[in-house]
Amino acid sequence: MNYLWHILVMINIYIILALSLNLVAGYTGLLSLCHAAFYGIGAYATTLLMMKADWGFFPSLFIAILLTAALSLIIAVPSLRFKGDYFVLATLGFQIIIFVILYNWVSLTRGPYGIPGIPIPKVCGIEMSTVFRYFLFSGVIASICGLLLWMLKASPFGRVLKAIREDEIAAAALGKNVPLLKMAAFTIAAAFAAVPGALFAGYMRYIDPTSFTLMESVFVISILIIGGAGSFIGPIVGAVFMVILPEALRFLHIPDAIAANMRQIIYGLLLIILMRYRPQGLMGEYEFQ
Amino acid sequence: MLWQLLANGFVNGCLFALTAFGFALIYNTTRIFHIAHGAIYTAAAYLCYVFLVQLNWSMPLAIALALFLTGLLGALTELLVYAPLERRGASLLVALLSSLGLYIALVNLIAMIFGNETKVLRPGVEATYHLGSIILTRIQIAQVITAFVLLPSLLIFLRVTEWGKKIRALRDNPTLTEVMGINARAVRLFVFSLGSILAGTTAILSALDIGMDPHIGMPALLTAAVALIIGGVGTFEGAIVGALFLGILQSLVIWQVSARWTDAITFGLLIFFLLFRPQGLLGQRRRLEEVMA
Repeated sequence: MNYLWHILVMINIYIILALSLNLVAGYTGLLSLCHAAFYGIGAYATTLLMMKADWGFFPSLFIAILLTAALSLIIAVPSLRFKGDYFVLATLGFQIIIFVILYNWVSLTRGPYGIPGIPIPKVCGIEMSTVFRYFLFSGVIASICGLLLWMLKASPFGRVLKAIREDEIAAAALGKNVPLLKMAAFTIAAAFAAVPGALFAGYMRYIDPTSFTLMESVFVISILIIGGAGSFIGPIVGAVFMVILPEALRFLHIPDAIAANMRQIIYGLLLIILMRYRPQGLMGEYEFQ
Repeated sequence: MLWQLLANGFVNGCLFALTAFGFALIYNTTRIFHIAHGAIYTAAAYLCYVFLVQLNWSMPLAIALALFLTGLLGALTELLVYAPLERRGASLLVALLSSLGLYIALVNLIAMIFGNETKVLRPGVEATYHLGSIILTRIQIAQVITAFVLLPSLLIFLRVTEWGKKIRALRDNPTLTEVMGINARAVRLFVFSLGSILAGTTAILSALDIGMDPHIGMPALLTAAVALIIGGVGTFEGAIVGALFLGILQSLVIWQVSARWTDAITFGLLIFFLLFRPQGLLGQRRRLEEVMA
């Protein structure tokens, strides 16, 4: 049974990641490749506060969210001046820079050795020590994040973002402060990405920089695109699909040695086929312009 | 020590320049951010490995056939992936995402067949040559010579031949190119093949020196893209200048800071250029909408 709960924990984590990225990529139309960097900053900040400052999970997470949001501003200010592939490239650059920092700032992050023995999160004195409890815990947090993001999407703010996506100049002509709104979307998305980071760290109880690479950013983008950018249900479908797919391959008795590659090949082909025949994804409403 | 580092940086810069030129041929004309260029780079090295090591053919034959197949692979990419998108009028970001999918699929296919461990094309220690205080290996000299032969020839090719002019026409104005009766699809096929062959050349030259693993393509692609942006998007000379600049800079970073920070410096430089000189070193200043569009 633990196996099932484990998959559901991972699905919860990726749902928050994909839903938050959707705010930037799906609603605002900015294809960001540094979401894993924010995920990583959230994971590291929470971990370090819990271990070095001996704080609880929630206070650490709170500060981690603020820190990630603040750092995302540094990234947003230059990146948001660009459009199209220049924006993609600028965020990719930041993703790589953050990875290099996590990897090389050994005195703080222990670099490639990673941080073992991360304390288990506690809620009201109850340790989330079994996989089932962690599933409930991550499920509640994912639901809260989902609800907040849904409210944002349904709010006037969400509608302005879509307007910017569809026609930036028209939005500006109607008096909307486009750069500020884009920055807000980017920062809010980054702040939300810190939450799955903390969940991941508390669940795995060990983190190292290799969980927060460019390929992880690409994976989250794939979830969003395969599920459907710009729709609310799309990223959820995408996350379920992309997390379950490798497990399904396991039941087809594909040898472990090639299973990982096989999975990636399927993701890659899926991305090509979707872009050709259904660029808005399975559930989506938006095709990247 | 400094001269040796500058020399190594220059040799690396020459290699970067070949990939960057290939990337520039494709990006300047089609504006597709061809991430799969990295996978084609990897594929070339592995094709050469199959012919040279597994089938034990002679070096010239192995390299020639590997490069031919690499060019074919590039053309197939255009035919099967990009051209249908272009016909449908899909956006460039859709093309970028397809390219990303293609990169992931190809690289993992290679990893599945050959494994993730490093493979070498030629065992043993290279003969070295001393030029004053600088020591270069034979393969490093071959790398420099290849770049010195190919790059100027390509620049001349672009300037004087008919196909070169067609390529530049497509770069300057795709619509007008077609109006003039030039077959833009054929030109696109041509730049994809030629660009891929250039990437393949670099990959094989680099693999002869330091071996290969399935993931060599991504850093090569990113360096090429950064080199083109630093040098100036839309220019072909810019790719060369940017690549040499990056090669030497990375060498100096290794000397002054540490090899582990080279990526951060490369991408820091990219963001610096995007912010303060988006037209690159050699590009012309244009209206922001034109540059960013």
